[in-house]
Amino acid sequence: MDGERIRDPPSERAGLLERRVMEKGETTYRIVSKNVSEYHFIVPYDLSEEERAEVGQIFSVRDGSLTYLARVLNIEHSSNYDGHWDTTIKGTNFFDSDQIFNLVIAEPLGCVDEAGEFRKSRTLPTKFSAVKRAERDQFRFLSQVMGDIEVGYLRNGTRLVEEIPVALHSEAMDHHMGVFATTGMGKSNFMKVFAASCMRLAVRGESKFGLLIVDPHGEYLKGKAAIKGLVHLQRYRDGLACYSTDRQNAADPGVEELAIAESEIFPEDIALLYEWSPPQRDALDAISRIFDPGSWLEEIKTGEGMGRMMQEGFKDSTVSVLVRRIKNELERNKYVKKRSSLANILANLKRGKVVLVDIPRMADRSELFLLSVISRYILDEYKREEDESRKNCFITIEEAQRVLGAGSNTARFESIAREGRKFGVGLCAITQQPKLIDKQLLSQFNTLVVMGLGDRNDRNQLEESAKQDLSSMDIEIQTLEKGEAVISTLNIPFPVPARIHRYEDYLRRLEKEPSDKSIPKGGFKPFLE
Amino acid sequence: MGEERRLSMVAEIIRDHIHLEGIDQYLKSTGIKESDFVPIKPADFSGRIFAVDGSNAALCGWMTARVNLIRAGYAVYRGREWQSTAITFDDLFLADPLLCQSNFDPYLEHYFGLTGIDLQESDLDRLSSYYREMQEYLAINDALDHARPGDIILYDGSFEVFEPLRAVLSVIFHRASKREVALLAVSKSSSLSWGQEITLPFVQHTALAGSQLCPDEAWCISLKDKNLAAGQGGWGGQSYVVRFCGQTSLAFRVDAPAYLSRDMEGISAILGNLADHSCSAECMGYPHALFRAHRDIRITEQEATGARERLWARLLEMGIAMGQIRMLMLDYHDILEMKSRF
Repeated sequence: MDGERIRDPPSERAGLLERRVMEKGETTYRIVSKNVSEYHFIVPYDLSEEERAEVGQIFSVRDGSLTYLARVLNIEHSSNYDGHWDTTIKGTNFFDSDQIFNLVIAEPLGCVDEAGEFRKSRTLPTKFSAVKRAERDQFRFLSQVMGDIEVGYLRNGTRLVEEIPVALHSEAMDHHMGVFATTGMGKSNFMKVFAASCMRLAVRGESKFGLLIVDPHGEYLKGKAAIKGLVHLQRYRDGLACYSTDRQNAADPGVEELAIAESEIFPEDIALLYEWSPPQRDALDAISRIFDPGSWLEEIKTGEGMGRMMQEGFKDSTVSVLVRRIKNELERNKYVKKRSSLANILANLKRGKVVLVDIPRMADRSELFLLSVISRYILDEYKREEDESRKNCFITIEEAQRVLGAGSNTARFESIAREGRKFGVGLCAITQQPKLIDKQLLSQFNTLVVMGLGDRNDRNQLEESAKQDLSSMDIEIQTLEKGEAVISTLNIPFPVPARIHRYEDYLRRLEKEPSDKSIPKGGFKPFLE
Repeated sequence: MGEERRLSMVAEIIRDHIHLEGIDQYLKSTGIKESDFVPIKPADFSGRIFAVDGSNAALCGWMTARVNLIRAGYAVYRGREWQSTAITFDDLFLADPLLCQSNFDPYLEHYFGLTGIDLQESDLDRLSSYYREMQEYLAINDALDHARPGDIILYDGSFEVFEPLRAVLSVIFHRASKREVALLAVSKSSSLSWGQEITLPFVQHTALAGSQLCPDEAWCISLKDKNLAAGQGGWGGQSYVVRFCGQTSLAFRVDAPAYLSRDMEGISAILGNLADHSCSAECMGYPHALFRAHRDIRITEQEATGARERLWARLLEMGIAMGQIRMLMLDYHDILEMKSRF
């Protein structure tokens, strides 16, 4: 539209008709807006089931030498027509499929340059840049930032991105990990896959921490029916040390009967189990002053011991409650004996093995008691010892809201969460209800494995505490299916969608794995059924 | 109260003008018989349908000349599937009666072998309309170049055109006939009327009558020898009223050049193809290619505003102050209406 041109007679122009033709072609799959923090692009409205865009899916936008990656947050019906044309029309024949489309709203993850380096993006792709579903090549850079503990494969929407394993970093584990999912979403499967990868590293001499799993459900050791247990991973069985309170399980070769010596139990371990009145609390605190720490359990139960307590000014009734509760606990926990497995457990952890403490059918309170004793023992030992050759330790807590909840008696585990990192002790909190975990404690967790949470309060709690921004992934987290996860962790630049390996498949794959130690990260071939 | 009574009176008059109470009077007055409504059978069409349209937006003007943005082109479908849209003209037009010759003649001579037409007496609005129409005819001509025998070209409007451009249409009809391409004009608005005492809308009333006589069917009716005010006539063809889809109550005026209208069977077959092409939910009852052409070729208000602003920027670059522009292009009605175009 040149101002000069309109005065010229048209015959003097280059051509009287300047045809411009728009051909049918790729009129969709293009960025149409919006800004640096949100991309909008359009896709056909009538794609086949396989081709449909999904929340959580990652698309790539090639623009010059950069490839932008963006994760789908939402999908809306849209068209080039105005108003409510689609609610007033008659009939069902739509001729112009390129005029009706779905508008995809996506969150930029960053961009990859020609050298394959990923970085956060401070700009946006050129308008109308072509968009396509990100494939293996666009995710290749992720292989470079993945860690050594493989747990699954990268997932793009519901599709698996083969050969891009999702692996956590051992180094991040002393910064604590949270595994969050409602029942049946695959927490136990995840933990077994995680443990199997740790066993593998231990046998290969590449382990950087020992993993302690206390299993109150008796499902990790031998599994149930078709569900396999950790002992079934024969190839890396040496990376596993098992202890059981169950006589039958303990009779199996390679499984030791669990024993805790009375001398290893501290008044604080009992304190964790009950609600105490202030005088009772005072009496508990006084025990370590009045009795010898190695024999207090023996002594306090005797008439003489109770007398010593009363001499200290505690009422008969207070001391009686205290002693009755102690006796109850000792009666309930038959594994409290003269001998102890703790030193052995500690040694295995320091060697970087997976230590499984199998306590099937154990009551909730007893489990807490045991966990308290073991974890206190470990933390004390790790605090005391500064052996550089020892591996770090990672303690899992099932139903972690019991001990990390706001208002609960959390001192023991709270101290691990707050200061464990200094001494190489990390916590793995597994829970269905993150909303019940103390917010400040949760913020200490640098690795979050989220496997489907229907409760908005649970999701809010995680979003507020996560180191990476999970708020935009709310719909995706709501719609995760069994075995799917979103993993937010250190060293991986954005929360990664993953499909956790099915343990039985992973186990078979590990059994068939070549013995060559030089297999690179992500060098496995997918083994899927 | 007087005002209310007056409003009621006017409402009655309007009702009398638009309402069709029974069709007997309509049939009697227009000479249309029930059998004149010929059902159309929708039929698959594997050929191409070209739909030609144009658009015109006023950018600025002063007392003696106007600048318009004009666009023309056509959409191409194969059956129900859009193939492409060609823009054959997209430019500014300076409507100045003294520049008419240089604006029109080169096109008319080059494409239609016509010597200049005299438009000097036309007002500025008319000039822009003529120019847009000429560009639409050039788009038809271009479509003809790309069409194959058996294809259909639709023109958005009527062939009942202004006298000065009739010669152009005549050339186009001749070419279309020679190339065995069906050329039809489909008009969304028509001033065809009937009635002796008052002027009644013919196409709308025909649509109502057709709905009663051929419910749920597509139909057409030839207007040959019917008693209605049919414009000036003499453009070289025959007009019809067509309902393309039985599911709607809308009908359109369709003009067919004589080389087509001579063969009623042939026309029915073409309209059947168009009926199959007019069942899209986006524009039920209207040929979809024309719908697409309209949307692809139209000049939106935003486009016009953008072009206008770029034009101001050029004028400012040339040293003309905004105040001068305002003064020269001022329409005092804007002052009276307290509006600003700048």
